[in-house]
Amino acid sequence: MTTLIQLEILRTLRNKRYVLFTVLYPALLYVFFISAYSGGSVAGGVPAKSYFMVSMATFGAVGAVLTGSAQRISVERKTGWVRQLRLTALPGRAYTLGKIAACAVTTLPAILVVFAIGAVEGVRLGAVQWLGLGAALWLGSFVFAALGVALGYAAQPDSVQPVVMIVYMLMALFGGTWFPVGESLKKFARFNPVYQYNQLASFTQPGHSLDTSAVAGLAGFLALFVAGAAFLYRKDTKQA
Amino acid sequence: MSTRVNEGGEVAAFRNVSKSYGRVKAVNGLDLVLRPGETVALLGPNGAGKSSSLDLLLGLRDPDQGSVSLFGGTPREAIETGRVGAMLQSGGLMGDVKVRELVKFACAVHPRGHRPEEVLRSAGITEIADRKVDKLSGGQEQRVRFALAVAGANDLIVLDEPTTGMDVSVRRQFWATMRAQADAGRTVLFATHYLEEADSIADRVLVLHKGRLIADGTSAEIKAKAGARRITFELHNSDGALDEAALRTLPGTVSLDVTGHAEGVRTVRIRSTDADAGVAALYKAGFYPHGLEVTSLGLEQAFLTITGEADSDSDLGPDSGSGSDDSAVESAR
Repeated sequence: MTTLIQLEILRTLRNKRYVLFTVLYPALLYVFFISAYSGGSVAGGVPAKSYFMVSMATFGAVGAVLTGSAQRISVERKTGWVRQLRLTALPGRAYTLGKIAACAVTTLPAILVVFAIGAVEGVRLGAVQWLGLGAALWLGSFVFAALGVALGYAAQPDSVQPVVMIVYMLMALFGGTWFPVGESLKKFARFNPVYQYNQLASFTQPGHSLDTSAVAGLAGFLALFVAGAAFLYRKDTKQA
Repeated sequence: MSTRVNEGGEVAAFRNVSKSYGRVKAVNGLDLVLRPGETVALLGPNGAGKSSSLDLLLGLRDPDQGSVSLFGGTPREAIETGRVGAMLQSGGLMGDVKVRELVKFACAVHPRGHRPEEVLRSAGITEIADRKVDKLSGGQEQRVRFALAVAGANDLIVLDEPTTGMDVSVRRQFWATMRAQADAGRTVLFATHYLEEADSIADRVLVLHKGRLIADGTSAEIKAKAGARRITFELHNSDGALDEAALRTLPGTVSLDVTGHAEGVRTVRIRSTDADAGVAALYKAGFYPHGLEVTSLGLEQAFLTITGEADSDSDLGPDSGSGSDDSAVESAR
């Protein structure tokens, strides 16, 4: 199974479109936001460079896992690679695990590049906070990897791209990626995994500790997406 | 090295297997046993149930009825112990990797994997080993798929239309590779619609039509069953009156076709399973055939004849012992 995982990671990193879209794009947007706010703060008083460092890291991470898993799974179901793998001694879950593992590895550059820019631009955090933030955002990305797997089994290859983009953009729009979620929308934002994901970073603000309700919310979404992915995977296997 | 076989000497067995997709019966009461060392061709027009049968054999789908076994166990067990390798028609390849990497992967996950270099060589893809999988021609892709199917020491190799997309010379090369596998004692089952492949490579031919096995034998037997030789001649009225009944009783006659065109000349075409005896009896019966020709129909004609008979005979003709049972099952649904 490790051979499959290695190969999945290798091919993902080799894919130029992936690197461009998931690593460079959020990094460029981050630089753009910093200059647009020119040292100011977003609504709520958080400095823009700190706020967007988190939101662009999560934006990149979610993009990395959604495209890495959903699109590839959908396309590879169509081409028959999934069938071909079923003719090997690998257990059925190896394919999905390989995808999630590859995602997990490839979200790191998306997060780290944005962090690096943040550090250069003057975001100041203690070593523990940097590590904690990196770990929280990295672990949180698994929730979206599971969502990506579910979407990959649910959508057909010709529609998977728009489906992923719509889900991704709606979650980002109402999840605090582009601007802080206003008070009136906060009660709905609980149902948005990207909002919860962004909330994971709140402990880095002075006077805040880890947002446990966000952790619980994400755990709930993880359970939901894993169950959905498992159900769709089984359905697909029967139709193969 | 000899092939490991279970006590029954069965590589694979279908026992009264049926599979439907919606209202279409893709496989209908299939009973079949493959023996070790056989090279078996699965022949049939598009939609005959070839791919469905192979899917069932490999455990990619479960039968609605009946059971499929491989080496005495389930298909999945056979795959997990590395006893069966397969090349599917719809077997996609992983993108963004090199051919060598993909083959290396296939060897690594096979419980009885070969060395990658060896597999590359035997599939004839050493020269393209460093190319990206996404940049291959159709024929090259097929050979990479083949490499994945023979990445380990399988006892059974299953190939679904393996030479699709290959040009003639590559196809010949491919079958040479394939024969080496068979000579090593492996059982080979391949689906094809190229009849000459079945004719020249297989030692057993299965003809599938509308999900049913309508013929099972050597290609010579199948040709014989279909009345695979044609006797053509003319009879002139000046030599005596035409006695069609006498023609019909010639030994080996499967079908008779008499057309009259020119004044007093009739052309007779007989399809025969025993042309030698037929011609001898023709003279003995007092006929004087003009322009006598005996031609072979080939497997292609035989195939068309057999499937044509199965079409016109809803109940299934002499080729299938289980025909009446099947239609009973069908009407019961």
